[in-house]
Amino acid sequence: MSLSSERLAATAAGFLAAAVLAVLYAPVVIGALFSVIEVTRNGINWGGFSLAWYGKLWQNQSILDAVRTTLIVSACSVSLAIVLSIALALYVEWEGAIGRRLIELVVYLPFLLPPIVTGLSLLIFFANLGISRGVATIVIGHSVFVLAVLYRLVLTRLQSLPATLFEASADLGATRWQTLRHVLWPQLRSAVATGAILAFTLSFDETLISVFLAGDATTLPLRLWAMMRVGFTPEINALVTLVLLFSIALAIIVSLRMKPEGEMEE
Amino acid sequence: MGLSLKAVEKSYGAQRVLQPVDLEAADGEFLTILGPSGSGKTTILRLVGGFTRPTGGHIRFGGTDLTDVPSHKRPFNTVFQDYALFPHMSVADNVGYGLMVRGMAKAAIRDKVVRTLEVVGLGGLLDRYPSQLSGGQKQRVALARAIVCEPKLILLDEPLAALDAEMRRHMQFFLKDLQRRIATAFLFVTHDQEEAITMSDRIVVMDKGRIEQVGAPGDIYYAPKTPFVARFFGDNNLIEGNVRDGRVETAVANFALPAGSRAEPRPVLVAVRPEKISIGGADGGRTAIACKVEETTFTGALTQLKARPLAAPQTTLLVKMTSDPGRPLPERGAETTLSFAPDTVAIVEVGS
Ligand SMILES: Nc1ncnc2c1ncn2[C@@H]1O[C@H](COP(=O)(O)OP(=O)(O)OP(=O)(O)O)[C@@H](O)[C@H]1O
Ligand SMILES: [Mg+2]
Repeated sequence: MSLSSERLAATAAGFLAAAVLAVLYAPVVIGALFSVIEVTRNGINWGGFSLAWYGKLWQNQSILDAVRTTLIVSACSVSLAIVLSIALALYVEWEGAIGRRLIELVVYLPFLLPPIVTGLSLLIFFANLGISRGVATIVIGHSVFVLAVLYRLVLTRLQSLPATLFEASADLGATRWQTLRHVLWPQLRSAVATGAILAFTLSFDETLISVFLAGDATTLPLRLWAMMRVGFTPEINALVTLVLLFSIALAIIVSLRMKPEGEMEE
Repeated sequence: MGLSLKAVEKSYGAQRVLQPVDLEAADGEFLTILGPSGSGKTTILRLVGGFTRPTGGHIRFGGTDLTDVPSHKRPFNTVFQDYALFPHMSVADNVGYGLMVRGMAKAAIRDKVVRTLEVVGLGGLLDRYPSQLSGGQKQRVALARAIVCEPKLILLDEPLAALDAEMRRHMQFFLKDLQRRIATAFLFVTHDQEEAITMSDRIVVMDKGRIEQVGAPGDIYYAPKTPFVARFFGDNNLIEGNVRDGRVETAVANFALPAGSRAEPRPVLVAVRPEKISIGGADGGRTAIACKVEETTFTGALTQLKARPLAAPQTTLLVKMTSDPGRPLPERGAETTLSFAPDTVAIVEVGS
């Protein structure tokens, strides 16, 4: 009795999950489908598999430039945020630290405030300093924005590590740098990797802050935004599919990397 | 000349957790810091290891002042209470860490690590990770990691506290034997008096951030200098009394002052070890006490007897004697005579 009702519940849950997944992923699947299938005036030509749109995409210089800018911005802002988050977390955890509260406020605020406020403040800041806007200012804007995510993850990991680990390292003759490299970094690595992926995703599709700070530079979201006025072409489907495959690949890499080494506490 | 602490003290804010302390440890000595929780044992160890800085005084080793020398430059290694093994490194890498950061060649490190792991009896476990080891094995890895660097002094903070009773006894013997073999000084922290007595060359008894007494286990056991030490070492019979005219007067008995004690009249505490009291016999200068028996307990090799002196029924005397099935023990409630030799008694100074 209880077994069959359990099975019923499990089946129902399974259907529900499948339905949710279907609704969530239908647009994605349709987009991916349209990127490889010919759509003509007479309707959809189901038989006509072609990578033509990918070829078109490859020739669309403005989109390719936007993608390149976005990747550069994401990579730079994430790298900057990684270094900053580790430095800040180490400082905040140090027993002699002053102004902990203030630092945390400064780190979290840009993430919590509406992006308009963050973007506008940075715009005014750069304008006052006479810094011309471009890729560099977007990178700074995104670093400030994604720092909170990395900082939180790094700090949580750091706080979970016993202080004796670092004392033991020093006790065995390691300098601060050696301790950082051989003990601290291996312990933080998985948290940093997770944070970096999250931050990368945030930075990749960040639009509002970019609008304020872009100047002449164009990131992918800005480019898509601009294209909305003139209408999309199916090469956008090709682009979205590629981005999706890229994200899935990233997720798989992270989950594979994190298991064997990273999580071996105790 | 080994380790020397001169007027070393430590305060956190306004709270002074370690009063100015003088302490010396000779080369190759097994020195134990013993005291109840919160007495400042770990504080001393951390000061010597360089993990915290003293708020006063000087720490020297072999004549060199180490007070301002950072931890990684001190010729000591520590076995932490939680072992503090690096979870992402294999046993071999953990043990070789101290050699690696000194820039020793890989092959030489491997050699030395293998030999050291043999010494601590973990020959085959080179490629295991700390999460795959038992408590006792982690303990030995931590030990190997410390001794492989050939330090002048090894600091151990309650290294056996997390082990079960049997493993603990085994490790006590093992540690003591290891310490003799590598001829290195150990500064060992424990709150277990039995552990301190069985392992140490000398014991430092601490209470409330102060050193109460330093001495060989026998001295501390039989000749406690302060009431705290007399109480801390288990089951001493402590009786308040006075020294007067070369005699000790207590409510329980009066007897001749033990040889070597100051004759100056003053209040004192008399400590009589339970195994120094026996049933019957006031012969040969022994001091006799007429008592009423409270209870007798057979505990195996020893039999315990509790009795109240007729002259001072508010006091309880504890007696421990080797069990003897052939000898009848006095019944509960019976009157019996207990006796001790006056020169086996410790006169403990009170006051000051
Ligand atoms: N970082 C600190 N800040 C404030 N007080 C501290 C700090 N570290 C230790 N103390 C205090 O110093 C005193 C001595 O602590 P210590 O750790 O040396 O005791 P212990 O003898 O090792 O005790 P246990 O047997 O419980 O380990 C305690 O009262 C403790 O509360
Ligand atoms: Mg302690």
